[in-house]
Amino acid sequence: MEILSLLGSGFLVALSPLNITLLLTGCFVGTLVGALPGLGPVNGVAVLIPLTFAFGLDPTSSLILLSAVYFGTMYGGRISSILLNIPGDEPALMTTLDGYPMAVQGRAADALAISGVASFVGATLAVIGLSLFAPLLARAAIHFGPADYFALYILAFATIGGIAGVDPRKTLLSAALGLMLATVGIDPISGVPRYTFENYHLFDGIEPIVALVGLFAISEILMLLEKEAKDRTKAIHVKSWLPQWGAIWKTRWAMLRGSGVGFVAGVLPGAGASLGSFMAYVVEKQTSNKKNTFGKGDPRGVAAPEAGNNAASGGALIPMLSLGVPGSGTTAVLLAMLISLNVQPGPLLFERQPDLVWGLVASLYMANVALLILNLPMIGLFTKLMVTPTWALMPIVAAVTFVGVYGLSNSVFDLELMIGFGVLGYLLRKLDVSLVPLVLGLLLGGDMERNLRRAMSISGGDWGILIASPISIVLYILTAGFLGLSVWLAIRDNRQDKNAHLADE
Amino acid sequence: MSIRIFGVVIFVIATLYTWNAGSYAITFGDVLGPTVFPVIVGIPMMILSASLVVFPSGQVDWPAPQRMWRQAAALAVLIGYTIVLRPLGFPLATFALIALLGIILGGAAWKAVLLGAIMAPALWALFDQVLGLPLDFLGSLFG
Repeated sequence: MEILSLLGSGFLVALSPLNITLLLTGCFVGTLVGALPGLGPVNGVAVLIPLTFAFGLDPTSSLILLSAVYFGTMYGGRISSILLNIPGDEPALMTTLDGYPMAVQGRAADALAISGVASFVGATLAVIGLSLFAPLLARAAIHFGPADYFALYILAFATIGGIAGVDPRKTLLSAALGLMLATVGIDPISGVPRYTFENYHLFDGIEPIVALVGLFAISEILMLLEKEAKDRTKAIHVKSWLPQWGAIWKTRWAMLRGSGVGFVAGVLPGAGASLGSFMAYVVEKQTSNKKNTFGKGDPRGVAAPEAGNNAASGGALIPMLSLGVPGSGTTAVLLAMLISLNVQPGPLLFERQPDLVWGLVASLYMANVALLILNLPMIGLFTKLMVTPTWALMPIVAAVTFVGVYGLSNSVFDLELMIGFGVLGYLLRKLDVSLVPLVLGLLLGGDMERNLRRAMSISGGDWGILIASPISIVLYILTAGFLGLSVWLAIRDNRQDKNAHLADE
Repeated sequence: MSIRIFGVVIFVIATLYTWNAGSYAITFGDVLGPTVFPVIVGIPMMILSASLVVFPSGQVDWPAPQRMWRQAAALAVLIGYTIVLRPLGFPLATFALIALLGIILGGAAWKAVLLGAIMAPALWALFDQVLGLPLDFLGSLFG
C-alpha cells in the first residue's frame, strides 16, 4: 500500500506540463536514436546529457527526459533490425534473426507490431519490478557501512565486464584507468591537488560528462570512418502497417518468458540489455523451437528478445538507483548525469528524494504507453527518417555534441579534453577494452576512495575493518567467485581457440 | 603486438602514477591521506599491464593507411572547430564542421555543403533562440 501512495505522489510529479513535454520529446528522440543504425543507446543518452545541463533542468526532469530516451532506444532498435536487417543498436541484434525473415515473407507489419507490443510488455513488467524491488534493495542497503561500500564497488568493477567474451584483465585495467582519472584534481579531504600538472582546468577534476561524451560519441565517428562507406540496403517496402492482432496474442507466452529472463539479466551487474535479449532468445528457442522454425521468421523469435531487452533495461535501473552502482553502459551514463547534478543515488535517495525516485518510476509507466502509441500507429514516420545516410547524420551529431559540452562550461579546454577522450576511446575499443568499466571507475572512484578513508578513520588505521562485517565478506567472496569463473572461462576459450586453430592447419 | 605496446604504455603510466602518489604524503588530516588510494589502484595496474605484455590476448586489425588519413582529417576538423569557434562564431564554424565532416564521411561535396548551410543556422536558431542556450552568432573576429 505504501508503494501505491508513493507512486501516486510520483504521478503528481510526472504529470507536470514540463515533465510531460520532456517525456514525449524523450520518447520520440529515443525511438529515432534507436532506429538509426550507428547511433546506440549509450551514444544517444551521452550526447543529450550536456544539453539537459545547459538548459538548467532540475535533476528529476533531466532524469525523466533521459530515461524516456533510454527506453525509447530499446523500442526503436527493432525497427531497423526488421526492415533493414541491420540492428539499430546492439541489443536489437537478436531481433534480426527472425524479424528480417518475417519482413522478407511480407509479414513486416506483424513483426513490427509483435515487437512493439513485446517491448511494451517487457518494459512495463520491468517497471513494475522496479517499483517493487528497488525500495526493498534500498532498505537492505541502508545497513551498508563505508567498508561495505568499498567492497561493493570492488564487486561492481569485477563484474561490469560480464562473464563471457573478453579478457578479464582488460576489463580490470579499464576500471583502474577510470579510478586513476578519478583521482585527478584537488583531493576533497586534504585539499592537496593531485595529478593536475599545474593546469588549473584540472583542479576541479575531470568532468565525467565531458569524458564520456568523448569516449562514446567522438570515438564512434572514428570507428565509422574506418569502415567502407556503404550504400545502405533499401528498407523493405511495407504496404500496410496494420498487423493481424491474432498473431500478437499467439506470442504472449514468449513475451512473458522473455520479460522474466531479461529482467533478471538486467538486475544482475555487468549484463544489461544486450545480454537480456540474447538470453531471452536462447531460452525461448530451447522451449519453443519444436518445428525448427526459429531463424526463419518465427514470431516468437521476435517477441522474446524484444521483451527481453526492454525488461533488462528497466531491471538495470534497480541497482543504479538503490545501490548507486549501475549494471550497464547506459545506466552508467545516467549515473554520471545524476552525480554531476549533485544527486548521489543509493539507499538514501529513496528517503531524501522520494519525488525524484517515484517521479521517475511514474514517468516510466507513462513513457511505455507513449512509446507503444509512437511505435504502432506512427511507425511509418520512423521508417522514413531511419534511412538518413551516415554522412549526414554523424556531422549533425558531432555539432550537437559540441554545443552541449560547450554550453556546459563555455570552455574550449573541455572541448579539447573531449576530443582527447574520443581518441582514447577509439584506441581502447580497437584493443577490445570495454569502455564501461572506465566510465564506472571515473564515476565511482571519488566515492570509493572516500569510503575507504572513512572506514580507515573509524578503525584508526586497522585494515582489518575492511573484512570486519559479514556484508563485506559476502561481497568479497562473490567478487572472488566471479573473477575465478571469468578467468577460468577466458582460459578455456583460449584453449578452444588454439585447438580450433590447430584443426584448421 | 599492439596489445603488448598497450601493456607497456599502461605499465609506464601506472608506474609514474604510483611513484607520484608518494609526493602527496601529508602529516595532517585522515589516517590514509591522499597517497594510499592511488597506490592501491596503481600497483594492480602495474601487475595487470605487465601480464598483458607477457601473455597478450586478442588481435587488433588496424585500418588501412588510407582510412587512417580520413580519421586524421576528421580529428583535424574537430580540433580546428575548437580553435575557430570563438573567432568565427557558432553558425560559420558549425557550417564548416558539418560540411567538412560530411565530405570526409563520404557524402557528395555539394550535398555536404548544402547540409551545413541549412543545419548550422538551424541549430543556432534552435539552441540560441528557441531553447535559450546562448551561442555567439558572430565571433570575436567580426567584433
